[in-house]
Amino acid sequence: MKQFKLLTVLFLVAVLTYSCAEDDSPQLPKGDYEKGYFITNEGPFQNGSGTISFVDETGNVAQSIFKSVNHKDLGSVVQSMALHDDFAYIVVNNFHKVEVANRYTMKSIATIEGDDIKNPRHFVAIGNTGYISNWGDAGDATDDYIAVVDLATNTVTKKIPVGEGPEDMLVDGNKIYVNLQGGWSQNNKVVVIDTSSNTVASTLEVGDVPNSIVKDASGTIWVLCGGKPSFSGTETNGKLAQIENETVTMLDFGTAKHPNHLTLDGSNLYYDLNGKVFAMSTTATELPTAEVSGLDGSYYSLKANDGKLYATNAGDFQSEGSLKVYDLSDNSLKETVVTGLIPGSVVFQ
Amino acid sequence: MKYIIGFFFIGAITFAQTDTIHLLDEVKLYGNFSPQINSGYQVQILSDSIINNHQQSLGNLLQNQANLYFKQNGNRMVSSISLRGSGASHTGVYWNGIAINSSLDGQTDFNTFSANGYNQIEIRKGGGGILFGSGAVGGAINLRDKIIFKDKFQTQINLGLASYDTQKGLVRSQYSNQKIYAKIVVEGNKSANDYPYLGTDIVNENGAFKNYHIKSVLGYKINQNNQLQFFATLSDNDRNLSRTLTSPSNSKLTNWQNRVLLNWKNFGQAYNSSLKVAYLDEEYNYYSNKESSDYTFGKSKNIILKYDFKYFISSHISLHSGIENKYSTANGSSLLDKYRNDFEAYALLHQNPIEKLQYNISVRKGFSSVYKIPLIYAADLKYQLSSGLNIKANFSTNYRLPTYNDLFWNPGGNPDLLAENSKSGELGLGYYQNKLSINLTSYITKSKNLIQWRPETPTYWKPINIQDVMSYGLEFEFKTQQNFGKHMLELQSQYAYTVSKDNVLDKQLIYVPYHKATASLNYTYKDFTVNFNEQYNGKVFTTTSNTQTVNAYWLTNLEIYKSFLKQQLTVGVLVNNLFNTAYQSVSYRPMPNRNFEFNINYKF
Repeated sequence: MKQFKLLTVLFLVAVLTYSCAEDDSPQLPKGDYEKGYFITNEGPFQNGSGTISFVDETGNVAQSIFKSVNHKDLGSVVQSMALHDDFAYIVVNNFHKVEVANRYTMKSIATIEGDDIKNPRHFVAIGNTGYISNWGDAGDATDDYIAVVDLATNTVTKKIPVGEGPEDMLVDGNKIYVNLQGGWSQNNKVVVIDTSSNTVASTLEVGDVPNSIVKDASGTIWVLCGGKPSFSGTETNGKLAQIENETVTMLDFGTAKHPNHLTLDGSNLYYDLNGKVFAMSTTATELPTAEVSGLDGSYYSLKANDGKLYATNAGDFQSEGSLKVYDLSDNSLKETVVTGLIPGSVVFQ
Repeated sequence: MKYIIGFFFIGAITFAQTDTIHLLDEVKLYGNFSPQINSGYQVQILSDSIINNHQQSLGNLLQNQANLYFKQNGNRMVSSISLRGSGASHTGVYWNGIAINSSLDGQTDFNTFSANGYNQIEIRKGGGGILFGSGAVGGAINLRDKIIFKDKFQTQINLGLASYDTQKGLVRSQYSNQKIYAKIVVEGNKSANDYPYLGTDIVNENGAFKNYHIKSVLGYKINQNNQLQFFATLSDNDRNLSRTLTSPSNSKLTNWQNRVLLNWKNFGQAYNSSLKVAYLDEEYNYYSNKESSDYTFGKSKNIILKYDFKYFISSHISLHSGIENKYSTANGSSLLDKYRNDFEAYALLHQNPIEKLQYNISVRKGFSSVYKIPLIYAADLKYQLSSGLNIKANFSTNYRLPTYNDLFWNPGGNPDLLAENSKSGELGLGYYQNKLSINLTSYITKSKNLIQWRPETPTYWKPINIQDVMSYGLEFEFKTQQNFGKHMLELQSQYAYTVSKDNVLDKQLIYVPYHKATASLNYTYKDFTVNFNEQYNGKVFTTTSNTQTVNAYWLTNLEIYKSFLKQQLTVGVLVNNLFNTAYQSVSYRPMPNRNFEFNINYKF
């Protein structure tokens, strides 16, 4: 049996080498998931598994693609996914691991796990180095860190301690901006990591609960801060922070306003607030007062891409969610897609 | 399937025999579970011998013996009931007549209760709001200690050694004479609970548990007309919360319960009364990391004053009434420090105008410091169609009050919640002979304003009175006993068909099986007993859209007992999951493979 497998592999290698050698042969498809976008579905908190859905160019939806390719579950709570080089990095929060798969075929390649991956949240990469935000023990405010990963071996080489609740990250040249959202609690910082030394270069104070981060074409970094919720006992206003050369200026949303899900399309920022979606130009100096009509909804995530807005809804959290795709030129609904349980993000190939 | 067919086959053979024997239901009832004032309801009794032949959790006992469905988060983990398609907080659990569902979440975790030491467990299906108050929508279960004033002094020691490094020990001692009754039960259980997940290379990590329970009962017969009774239990559960197929776990849950009850019973020529004062104390601590000293907690203290008065106007008419006041406080990591006071009163008229007919009509009304308690009413009857054949019917309205968590959880708690309400109707046929009983029951329940936690924003959820549910079903019960000289054969089988639908979605509720069946065959020859127990759990849905399921499964348990020294010593071997079936109660949480218990019971 082993010999047979070996022969098959040798045969495939031979075929592939041969096809690569033929310069003028047509480009082979890289895999079933080369063109389209992914939806990460968190799945039930404990008693189940998160999944990945895929929507191809023609709008066909395939559910649970990681499982159908690899015949294994991803694990509990698929928090996020990032694409880098030929790979998809799928962050599985409650299983304390990051699955590495081929981004075109979803074939599982490696797992980044072990004692140095604890409550992972998000993944970003620069060249051959990956960065994973980790809460550590969710109940411990002082053990949060960014795991630095050698992507050649998929092992953690360093842990950079940061404040409580590192969440979304953004790559800006050789720096990484990390939102310290606060985990189960609330925080109000953005940490800047210098990736040449893999140390914290500076810590910026923003509004409470920085929940999303984007960079516009001019290089300005925008951080949306939800503000502390009323149940925290000390409710604070949501704020939109603008970071230029590590200098922070902020716009205030006003009392009891808690915006979320900042995303960028061209020169327009989009976010949601109280079931409505707002748009703001990156050159504007004030927050918009009126929502964009036609985009209302209770969304679990928002992502703008190429003139369209992808908005997920988790429904009752106990059944399939949905994704709505709006055309931002006229704010019309283009498509509604059934997703897996608790669709948490949309990722474009 | 083949096992069930086998059972019905054996049943048919035994049915064909015509020896005269009598069934086990000779135990007399009293109080609000008594058949007299539950004429139109099914009341099932589990007797001392079934409860106490080996140590097990209340959940396991009821699942095996009473065909009740439990949703278990893994073996010995949090276990909640769904009776007649109702929710986990819609079955009232009572301890000597006092409601003991948690004030925090309205539920009972049936794996934190030990079944052992009680003399009787009473199960009454169907709406019982009038007699039992809030939450008795699907049914009511009573754990009962019986106080009997006769000369007896007995001590029982029960020791069990089982798979997964499980150790069990129990001492039960009872002393009684014509005036005094005293019983104490001390019990401890400990297990690594690290069974393998069949078909995988994973074991049930972080599943270890230990618990102990102390129960004591004192009775004093002051005179012919007056008795004082005292009951106390203390129970301490320490469980690691086990992993799942798709996530490791490092968390831990401890539960602590303390209950004390003083009851003064007073009997007259034409009346009897009972005055109860109870104090209930519960606390849980949840450690998201068991090695850390950080935990979240919730606790509540309840003082209950309850007075029941029964007046026998004539031999055919009696009036039953009662008042109950419950004062409770609660606090916790996510609970504001709150108190509430509920006062409720009920009255029931019982009449049997002719020998063949008895009926009850009843009403209950309550007042609360926090919300409005609706007026509820009910009527039930039993009519004897012919010898051994009777018809039972009932109609009831019921309610469930919001719990502390619903009202005051931070964030989300909603102080504006209303009581949930429901209407139930039931029609049953019963056939009884001295060697055989058959029951067939159909029911329908419409529930409104059920409280559900819904996402208010993605970050926090809020309970609202939103869900309307319609449940209906059929229940079938078959019981027979046959003697062949010194051989005795008993067969019991139960089947339940349950539909419980969310009216908006028009889908079956999650974790409510359409089909559930139990069959138990008991063979006794002199000092030798074999019990063969078969269960069928139909598939359950795990998504509200009914797209994902936990598969149906068959489960077989075998128990063999042999007694020595004039029944003083009994040695038992138990095999659970005889056919090594891979099964789950909750999805992604595999249950144990085939496992064994060796049990010694010594009485003196």
